[in-house]
Parts: sequence; C-alpha cells; structure tokens
Amino acid sequence: MKRLIPMAILLLSCFCAQAQDSLKVAPKSSPGSNKFIVYGNAEMSYISNTDSKSFGEVNFKPIFLWRISPKLFVEAEMEIETGGGSVALGLEYANMCYAVNPYLTLHAGRFLPKFGAYRGRLAEGFMNRFASKPAGFGDGGIGASVETGVGALGGLPFGDIKILYDLYLVNGPHLLTSTSDAGQFDYEAYISNNNSMALGGRLAILPFSKSNLELGFSFQHKAKTGDLGSADENVSLDMQAIDLNYFQNISGIKSTLRISGELRHQKVGSDAVYLKSDGETKYGFSNSPTAWYLSTSIRPSLVDSKFFRNLEFAYRYSSYTRPSSAPWGGSNLTSNEFAIDYWLHWNSLVKFAYQSKKEEAKTFYASVVFGF
Amino acid sequence: MKKIFIVISIISIFITTGAVLSGCYVSAKAANKSGVQLWGENCNRCHNAPGPGEFNNDNWDLIGTHMQIRANITKTDMDKIVEFLKSANN
Repeated sequence: MKRLIPMAILLLSCFCAQAQDSLKVAPKSSPGSNKFIVYGNAEMSYISNTDSKSFGEVNFKPIFLWRISPKLFVEAEMEIETGGGSVALGLEYANMCYAVNPYLTLHAGRFLPKFGAYRGRLAEGFMNRFASKPAGFGDGGIGASVETGVGALGGLPFGDIKILYDLYLVNGPHLLTSTSDAGQFDYEAYISNNNSMALGGRLAILPFSKSNLELGFSFQHKAKTGDLGSADENVSLDMQAIDLNYFQNISGIKSTLRISGELRHQKVGSDAVYLKSDGETKYGFSNSPTAWYLSTSIRPSLVDSKFFRNLEFAYRYSSYTRPSSAPWGGSNLTSNEFAIDYWLHWNSLVKFAYQSKKEEAKTFYASVVFGF
Repeated sequence: MKKIFIVISIISIFITTGAVLSGCYVSAKAANKSGVQLWGENCNRCHNAPGPGEFNNDNWDLIGTHMQIRANITKTDMDKIVEFLKSANN
C-alpha cells in the first residue's frame, strides 16, 4: 500500500499542473480519417566466424498505434523472431496511456521501462549502429527489460533545460535458480511470481537548450524476487543505471558526431542459496554484476556527395563484469566492435560490423534493417 | 526499503513542484523555438529525423504522441514539431 503513495502524489501533481495550463485540445479528426497506424521494422542478419557462417536471425516487429481520443492512446508491439531456430511470437509491449496534462502521462499494461536509454530506445534496429548488443546488455545480461504494471512519465521544461521523469510500479524480475543460470533473472516475465512488486524509475536532464545532451539515472528495487514459498523468495534485487546520449553537427568536418553510453549495476540479496548439479549441495555467491558500453559514430551528413553522406562509421566498447563464482560467470567479458553503415532511408540501413569479444570467436556481421 | 520510499517521495515532490512551476518558468529562448528547430533537436537525439511528407497528417498525430511517450518530449514541443511536419502536406 505504501508503494502507491508516490503514485497518489503524482496524481495530485497532475491536477495542480492542470490548473496552471489551459489544455490545448487537439482538433478532432475529420470523418473517415485515420486514428490507427502500423509501423515498425524488419531486420535480417548474416554472421560469419570460425564456427558458423549463416544468414541468421530474421525479425519482424510491427508497432500498432491507436489514438482513441486526444487523451487516450494505445501503443503495442509484436515481435516475430527466428533467432531461436523456430518462429517465436512475443508481445513486446501493449501500453495504454492517458495524457493527464502536458507534463504528465499515466500508463498501464506491458511496457518498456525506462531503465537506462539503451533498452526501449537506442537498441532499436535503426538506432543501434551495430548488428549486435553490447556485452551484458543482451541475453544473459542484466537490467530491466519488459515490465507489466503501471507508471507515470513526462517532461518538464525549466528555463532552458528539461527534466524527463519516469516512475513505475511493476511485477518485476524473477530470480532464476536452475543449475546453469542460478542467480540470473527473467526480466521479461508476463506474470508475478510472489506477492512483491518492483518500484523503478528514471530521472534525466537535458542540460543544454538545444537538447543535444541527455544524462539519465535509473533505478529499480524489488524486495522479493524468488518464487512464492521457495527458499529464495526473500532474495532482493537493486538495480541502477546511468546513461549518456549526445549528438552534435560539426560544420568544420561536415559531419554528425554521436556519443552514447550506459552503465548498469545490480546487487542481489546475499541470502540467496542455490543447489549444485547434484541436487543436494547448497551454495551461494556474491552477485553484483556490472555492464557498461560507450559508443561513438560519425556520419559525414553535411557533405554534398549523397554516397558519402549516407555512410556512418561507428565504434563501441563494452564490458560485462560477472560474479566470479556464478555458474554463468567466471571472468569479465569485453567486446570491441567496429561498424560501417550505409543509410538507405532515415530508418533503413545496411550494417557491416566486426566484433572482437573475449572468449568468443572474432565475428563479422552484416545486417539489413528496414523501417516501415 | 525506507530509503527507496524517501527517494521516491523526494522525486514525487520534485515532479509536483516542477509541474506547477514549469507552466510559468520557460525561458523566452525556449518558448520561442520553432517547430523545425525542435524537430532537428529532439528527433536527432536518438535517430535520424524523418522528413516532412513522410506520413500524412493523421499519422503524424499518432507518431507524435508515441514519441512523446517514448522519449518524454513535452507536449508543447511535440505540438510544434507535428505542426511543422504536417506543413509539407498542406
């Protein structure tokens, strides 16, 4: 019940803010006009290394948007993926939003929580300049991914700067306890596994008036992550992330420079106990993994040549510090990636990337992403 | 857990105060930004900015609302951006 207090305060804030501003009601659509749109992206990748040469993952991700009224809005995304060797159908998100006032939107459903800026934004196929994910940010990595619950979000201008905020109450991650993934989490569960909920949010600032730099801090806390009635039910999880996103057009070199980065850290309660493969021996370990990446890209977007202005060169370094005693840990992963992208449209591109990742074969990726 | 509640309460109060104050504290420089300027600044922060004419007017309304949610863009800014993007269709 206590967790609902912040939400109640937010609701109160909306009415205060509404009193300050006369809402501009969007003009009604003309008869027969469209309140619905499908857009999204399709992507395919090719992978080549000493172990494998194959046309791999094909993903089709339609996004459905409905604007029921100027205040009511629904966004949903389906994921149809083949990376697992068969067609997998998933509900990425289905989020119902209510615009309370210009500075506050309440939402409920399954949604992409603003935990950092990578997941839910910069990881999208046409925003990620690489054909792969940073170490620790994909499968087997850490950080909130998809959540079911309620939340509030918005942006507030203060003079020349802007503050962006998100606050949500959700089912939260599930602790995994099987032999191979003990101490990891299911960050995309559809339902709750106990009577505890997770509280999370993100606060970001755009310190410059031209809004080309965004700095964010995210957190999530869940008091109980284990299955109801299990020995690990009361194992807690605390996650934090800081993120940076910057772009600048540099007229001297007729190019656009982009820099983005994110650091995620999580701490799992020390009372977690797991079973070894013999099914009897109990053990535990200090579980505080950290993952981060820093990437930069440069695109000669201001030159006259169409061919050259559609080229983009990118580099990314990522690191994943794993618990040394975890069955999925043992050593730290680092990855260097270089990419050359060619833009076919504002949201469609071809990527050629080379990845050198610790403990893995050096890999060449090619990827085609079409936004529609 | 108490610490979390304290942090959230502080954030909530901050948001409440901000929501109340922000309606009357926007610099003239920020308030006078044009749609095209806001389009270049906000869209490009995450991705290449789509050009005017890419979608019809109804679809720009939908996409604008979607982006308002995904990127926490203020409604005032988004209204200006959408008006600019629609201008190519009129």
